[in-house]
Amino acid sequence: MALTLKEQLSSPKGWLKFLIKYNTVFIFILLVIFSAVISDVFFTSVNLSNLLKQVSGIGVISIGMLLVILTGGIDLSVGSMVALLAVIFAIFINLFALPLAILLTVVLGFALGSVSGYLVAFQKMAPFIATLALMTVARGMAFIYSKGSPITFSTKGGLFMSNFANNTTLGIPNIAIVFFLIVICAMVLLRYNVFGRLIIAMGSNEEASRLSGINVKKYKFLVYAISGALAAIAAIIVASRTNLGSPNMGMAWELDAIAAVVIGGASLNGGKGTAINTLMGVLILGLIGNILNLLNVPSYPQQVVKGGIIIFAVLLQRFENK
Amino acid sequence: MQENKSQYRLEMSGISKSFGVVSVLKNVNLKIKHGEIHALLGENGAGKSTLMKILSGVHQKDTGKVVLNGEEINPKNTHDGQVLGINVVYQELSLVNDLSVAENIYLHKLGASKFWMNWKEITQNAQKLIDSLGFKIDASATVRDLSIVQKQVVEIAKALSEDTKVLVLDEPTTVFDPQDAQKLFDNLNRLKNEGVSIIYISHHLEEIFKIADTITVLRDGVDTGTLAVAETNPDDVIKLMIGRELKDMFPKRKAVVSDVPVLEIKDLAGKDNLVHNVSFSVKPGEVLGIAGLGGSGRTEMAKLIFGAEKKKSGTIILNGKEVKTNSPVDAVALEIGFVSEDRKEEGVFLPLSIRKNISVTSFDAISNRFGFLDIKKEFSNVLNLIGKLNIKTPNSEVDVKNLSGGNQQKVALAKWLSIDSKVIFIDEPTRGVDVGAKVEIYNLINEVVKKGVGVVVISSDMPEIMGIADRILVMHQGTIYGELSKEQFSEENILRYSIGKPLKQNIQLN
Repeated sequence: MALTLKEQLSSPKGWLKFLIKYNTVFIFILLVIFSAVISDVFFTSVNLSNLLKQVSGIGVISIGMLLVILTGGIDLSVGSMVALLAVIFAIFINLFALPLAILLTVVLGFALGSVSGYLVAFQKMAPFIATLALMTVARGMAFIYSKGSPITFSTKGGLFMSNFANNTTLGIPNIAIVFFLIVICAMVLLRYNVFGRLIIAMGSNEEASRLSGINVKKYKFLVYAISGALAAIAAIIVASRTNLGSPNMGMAWELDAIAAVVIGGASLNGGKGTAINTLMGVLILGLIGNILNLLNVPSYPQQVVKGGIIIFAVLLQRFENK
Repeated sequence: MQENKSQYRLEMSGISKSFGVVSVLKNVNLKIKHGEIHALLGENGAGKSTLMKILSGVHQKDTGKVVLNGEEINPKNTHDGQVLGINVVYQELSLVNDLSVAENIYLHKLGASKFWMNWKEITQNAQKLIDSLGFKIDASATVRDLSIVQKQVVEIAKALSEDTKVLVLDEPTTVFDPQDAQKLFDNLNRLKNEGVSIIYISHHLEEIFKIADTITVLRDGVDTGTLAVAETNPDDVIKLMIGRELKDMFPKRKAVVSDVPVLEIKDLAGKDNLVHNVSFSVKPGEVLGIAGLGGSGRTEMAKLIFGAEKKKSGTIILNGKEVKTNSPVDAVALEIGFVSEDRKEEGVFLPLSIRKNISVTSFDAISNRFGFLDIKKEFSNVLNLIGKLNIKTPNSEVDVKNLSGGNQQKVALAKWLSIDSKVIFIDEPTRGVDVGAKVEIYNLINEVVKKGVGVVVISSDMPEIMGIADRILVMHQGTIYGELSKEQFSEENILRYSIGKPLKQNIQLN
């Protein structure tokens, strides 16, 4: 409403409302403070840059997931697509010049996403089912094309990518810069572009969108295709970090991506969610993993804590609507 | 049961209720006799629904007393209310789509019954109940497959499946055509004679004067008076409702109707054959009314022309040129607009702001060729429309779900008024809208017509369609049965055509 920030914060109730409204940011800040207090290593540049490198891949597919979820859909195929596209990228980079390998991988990602998009938008298949099928297909193909074992980069182009992925610019890991650029693009798209406005409208009321003369099928198709292209970028990032493409990459990443989007306050019914909050969601998930690693907590208890945080974040968001 | 001496079955006195800082009800009194139909009137947001929700146990009152049959009651939830014999039929249907009619009617009892269900008995009882209401619905049918009219009947049957002492009906006839409404009134009169106290909420004054005994009017959370129907008239009631005199319900317009039609429809038929053999034309600057009973194909016809449903055959000629509308995308590109009768499901985006709602049809005007929005221009467009349509809101960023029904309807209209249109179809322009907002919407329609747009208004509200249309086409069983010119307008004539009968003195037609 028309209250200024100062007015909002002038009462205890106003404070609470403010906290609830920006809960994702607050959880993030709390976690940062907590981590800094509890571990000396946390605020070292090595650790922070590791943290950013770790989340960049999942972060990129989370942005694709956000676009899909905004329309009221879901894309379960992205994790397997990362594996398939990482394998394909490793094959391409050993065959073609680097720019061509990158271009072909992204185009292929877009094409694979288009398959989901076609099934959902034009065949009216439930997004959960269509992308579940694609998930299995992509994982299977990843194993077929790699013959079950990782494919190592063996060309100059591969060396360049590996250097790029593991180096920093102005202290920030290059792949994190790629991720942040994609977040900024999504932000601009959702706020200032007709495309963003339309997918939010579709997610909040598909029938009203159709009756307003919006080409609902086209935009639905496009979000899945874009999600596929972003999975390709994520695949290039993770493959380059490790210098290889493996069919075991991106295992259950689709679930982390969904978790990040939901922690970021998006509604699975569609129509609600922002890029900046999804970025927060990605960082929160990454932070939890990071701090638990620093505390030497084994990976199974880590999963329990992650689940707990998801529940906590979503419960907090319920107050927002009241 | 204790014998009570009061002549009233239900007495609500000194009821007040606030939500946060907003005071919704202030010291309201409402007294209902045994066997009485008591109309509760007021504009949207006057507090009618809140008062009824306090009665049924959805909300708790802040102050005041509710006495039923001489005993003070304090229902904490709707179950308490039902046990006391208070049943409410809400405006928003609350049926479970995937269950059968019978299961829905007895839903509240299913949990409490024995381990094994006697489905046969339940279905039979439900069938008996529906038959007694005089409607034809199969009790074993799935609710999803019913029409909206049938759903409303099931909702009413559900309320009557209890031992009901006080029955509250919130706008029960909005989806009914006059025939169905008459059936409902017959039932209400029967219940009244059996001693049930009925509270009837409606915006339709004609209905109220037809069936109610007493009227209580709420305005801004205060009851402005209780009147006996026999001793009052609609004008006085409207004055009480809006606190001023309403000079002209249907404002006159001075539009020049051109002779050359802007839109011609020839032999239109839908794939499902709900609409067939429809031919008519709309002239620029005229309001063409479409009347007919629910299920006569009015909405389907408009959706066919708009491309929202699949056509089997038919020619559409716009400004003398044949055009194709295979989807709403085509129709909008051709500057044909459509405002749905189902505001919440098909008209507006409830979770989005007024600004985002209105802009959704006008991106061409406010974005460049890469799709980037000129937000400044968007704001000025939207604020301009908010002012012009008198949408009551503090600013353009309020979510549409927080607006009253009348203001939501204005937002739905604004979407189409913000762009150039040649023809606009408006389905039920004022359903569930209060009197004040109705007049504003009629004024808007007049303004659009003045610009030379052809406006097609579909409406079940007879005074409305006769008040604003230049001529009326009446639909019957999927096709246009007859046309009425202004001199022939009467409720009787519309009804006769609606049920497929010729007019009484129709020498000129032969």
